[in-house]
Amino acid sequence: MIFADNVNKSYRNGITVTSVLKDVSLTVGRGQLAVILGASGSGKSTLLSVLSGLEQADSGTVRVSGETLTDMNEKQRTDFRKRKIGFVFQQYFLIPHLTVEGNVRIGAHLAGNRNYAEIIEAVGLGSKKNSRPAELSGGEQQRVSIARALAKQPDILFLDEPTGALDEETGRGILDYLFKLQSELSFTAVMVTHNASIAETADLVFSMNSGKIANVRKNEIRKSAYAIGW
Amino acid sequence: MTVSLKDGARLFGVAVMCGCAVFVCTFFLNFYLDALAVKDEVEESALSLYRAQLLTAKFVCIISGSVLAAVTLVLIVFYVRLYIDAHSKQLGLMKALGYGNGKLALEFWVFGLSVFLGATIGFGAGYAVCPLIYDQMGGEGFPGIPIRFHAELLACFVVLPTVVFSAFSILSAYLRLRRSALTLIRDRSEGKPVKAKPRSRKIPFLLDLTLTTLKSKKSLLFFIAFASFCFASMLQMSVSMKDYSSISMGAMIFGIGIVLSVTALVLAFTSLVRANERTVSVMKAFGYSFWQCGQCILGGYRIPAYCGFALGTVYQYGLLRLMLDVVFNGVNQDVPVYQFDVAVFFIVLACFAFLFELAVSGFTVQMRKTSVRKLTAE
Repeated sequence: MIFADNVNKSYRNGITVTSVLKDVSLTVGRGQLAVILGASGSGKSTLLSVLSGLEQADSGTVRVSGETLTDMNEKQRTDFRKRKIGFVFQQYFLIPHLTVEGNVRIGAHLAGNRNYAEIIEAVGLGSKKNSRPAELSGGEQQRVSIARALAKQPDILFLDEPTGALDEETGRGILDYLFKLQSELSFTAVMVTHNASIAETADLVFSMNSGKIANVRKNEIRKSAYAIGW
Repeated sequence: MTVSLKDGARLFGVAVMCGCAVFVCTFFLNFYLDALAVKDEVEESALSLYRAQLLTAKFVCIISGSVLAAVTLVLIVFYVRLYIDAHSKQLGLMKALGYGNGKLALEFWVFGLSVFLGATIGFGAGYAVCPLIYDQMGGEGFPGIPIRFHAELLACFVVLPTVVFSAFSILSAYLRLRRSALTLIRDRSEGKPVKAKPRSRKIPFLLDLTLTTLKSKKSLLFFIAFASFCFASMLQMSVSMKDYSSISMGAMIFGIGIVLSVTALVLAFTSLVRANERTVSVMKAFGYSFWQCGQCILGGYRIPAYCGFALGTVYQYGLLRLMLDVVFNGVNQDVPVYQFDVAVFFIVLACFAFLFELAVSGFTVQMRKTSVRKLTAE
């Protein structure tokens, strides 16, 4: 489903070139939840950007859902994201002047999904569909962000520190929602986090250090969000 | 120092508006004052035209001066709000540390520097074109009108606006800063957010996004309508006035119209693109094309733009009628009958449509550069 082989990515700042990803290779199967774990600056968010087609790798191969992202230009990658990918960001990035329903429609519109109201209900915000983001708590905003991503009916959901801006209890609730929806809808998910406990909830854990995958672990049994230490 | 001198001096829109206002007022009032001084030397046969010219100078000066001064005021408020919103965290922290609203607001005096720059350039340019204007405003039976420098005009058009607009910037900042330190730090506007009204009928998503974007930036409606208003009124007037004035006067009005409308349009679209950077990033990440992003963010402003155009057309017609009916009433010389020029209207409309679509396309292409990388945490 997701395949990366010897992926390299660097950024140039004036005359300084910083190598962020160094020969990264990984495979994630259909319907799995993979966690990319690492400290700040380890390259995990850049890896998520490259795997999701937000950015182009400098070298190596990235293949997602049978399509080779590393052969695509920007326009083709935009079209790919439109068809296949959903995103949940740490800072939610909801559009402030749209209601909950309007924000979810950003995703639904692209997939031609007319049943987005069900997803709003599924994330428990049916009664707040006419509220604007500023009226919601952090946890509720993140649930809108998840609903927005799922309304797009993505093959793969990329989550960048989805609980990073939330307190422990709200974070557990969000993850629990997410896992429940994943088992119902069977999408593949890739989550970036610096929280090692969250890795216990995944099928696959890729630990990153200084732009490289330092360790790969498979969990035979995924723990519930309420069964992990935070 | 929260607001630097550089911040205050680079308010391009304020400098342009103020410069245009002072430019027009300087040459007309300079002429007015100098013409008054030679009143006794005007021949009896030219007296009615002489009075009409004085009235024209006063009339144009009051109307264009007050309209542009009002727009400059709105611009100052707009820039102050923009600055405070962009630096709300920093200002909130300073308030939390104990700085008062008054102390922070006082630093906004530097916004008057742009007024000073614009006014100085406008005054210099206005004085420089005086020989041209004096030639045109004169006529048969007029004595030669010597150009004199009037220090009171310098005080009125450079010193006074700088002081008044600086004070206004301080007041405007003071009012905007009257929010709690925490509200500023959290970058949220005071009070409860306005609850959205549920729609009885579902509208297409992209149209919904276009309309909500339009509603969220109401102040920019004014600048876009003003841009089209200036374009319509001044360009049509510059051509319609050919029978009542000279080519160079028409060219001057034409030039001012272009400068004002392009400045207001660029200012509004730049602010819109900046304010919606995050929306565009999210849309791009989800797979919307940059063209769809552009239409959602900028496309909604077409209707207000054409409303401004219609208003500008009516305004220029009304103003010219008023000038001819009131100011030139009783002038002995033959004054041609003024009629609305339909051909000019359609040509100017086509030019405006071209300019507007060019701006929408240009700024849409600029949105293409919006980075989606900012969305990821690292």
